[in-house]
Amino acid sequence: MRYLLFISIIFLSACASQYKSLQNARGDISCIQKFKPVFVSALYNTQVNAIGKHLSGLLLIKTMPDSSIRIVFSNEVGFKFFDFGFAADGGFMVFAIIKQMNKKAVIGTLRKDFGLVMMRHLDTANGFVRKEGDLTYNAFPQGKEFNYYVTRAGCSELVRVEIASKRKTKVQVIMQNYIGGIPDTISIMHKNFNFNIGLKRLERNVER
Amino acid sequence: MLLMIITAGSLKAQYAGYKLLTDLTIFKTQFTAATEKTNSIKSDFEQEKNLSMLSEKIISKGKFWFKKDNLVRMEYKQPFQYLMIINKNNVFVKDGQKENTISTKSNKLFQQINRITVDCVQGTMLANPDFKVRVFENTKSFLIELSPSAKGLKDYFKNINVVVDKKEYTVSRIEMQEISGDNTIINFTNKELNVTIPDALFAIH
Repeated sequence: MRYLLFISIIFLSACASQYKSLQNARGDISCIQKFKPVFVSALYNTQVNAIGKHLSGLLLIKTMPDSSIRIVFSNEVGFKFFDFGFAADGGFMVFAIIKQMNKKAVIGTLRKDFGLVMMRHLDTANGFVRKEGDLTYNAFPQGKEFNYYVTRAGCSELVRVEIASKRKTKVQVIMQNYIGGIPDTISIMHKNFNFNIGLKRLERNVER
Repeated sequence: MLLMIITAGSLKAQYAGYKLLTDLTIFKTQFTAATEKTNSIKSDFEQEKNLSMLSEKIISKGKFWFKKDNLVRMEYKQPFQYLMIINKNNVFVKDGQKENTISTKSNKLFQQINRITVDCVQGTMLANPDFKVRVFENTKSFLIELSPSAKGLKDYFKNINVVVDKKEYTVSRIEMQEISGDNTIINFTNKELNVTIPDALFAIH
């Protein structure tokens, strides 16, 4: 009986929503626009750990003259892994990808992850605000999921960004140390499988 | 006649200032003789990755060591730290976070890339069956154009051009032209030939 109770507690806690304790609140959801990175052209030293595999390289994020954003990932020696384009109208293009990564699930995951970093889909008309302690959850529904931009009171700091179902966090993104509108450090962590991306901005003024 | 003019025109336009060598016999003999005398190379390098559609250049710099046979060390120092060692059939890489050793015997593409790198510095690229070879020359250098015929490389590279200076018959530049129009250019400078390089620099633990 005691064992059954223990199992039930474990089961219930596993099913419990991480977002249940959020309280309805009022707030200016558009305040998060100020955290939207302005990727004129930024180069990042990149580490990818995915299901026991490790990949490193350089990731370039650049805004093109037509306002689309290109993301190109290559290894240190220059071998290109992928080249994606995020159009200003919300469209997405794969300009190049190596055979080993050319899978619908991989492309879809990367599209979502980097879409979150670029803070796309901020449709304030459908957004709502929730609070817990001194944290504000600025929520934007995306189909069956939600994108949460979690800020400190008064919208003073972007603490983290999350993709979540109704119950659980699926992806967590942390963007820190904004310099000139561009985060210096970006971490993308998947909660339901082992897939993490770490980005550290590189100083590009190489002495020549 | 018209065909000859068009062909000559297209070759001339391909590499400005270079003309095609139709007879490779003398070049091969001299090149082989010179590379046989080169037992080690130490140099600096600058790598330029050109992303044509993005009008972007990614520049990195580092140190390069080569020692016969099949020992290569490339150490990127700026703007990131990255180490690659080729030791016979193994490739060791160390980035900011992890170390990894790959046996090229189990990875065909790595095997091909390994061979290009070693061939380029060792001067044995003319015998590589993965490529069709043409050689061009100007007053100061030879340009060896390697067009991939092997499947994996052909999907990615249009050409790999190796520029060899005529004075020492050593590689001064490698240009990897991708199908996409992007390219990676590596320039070798401050070359020192046949200096003593300890084997420990190429050790894979």
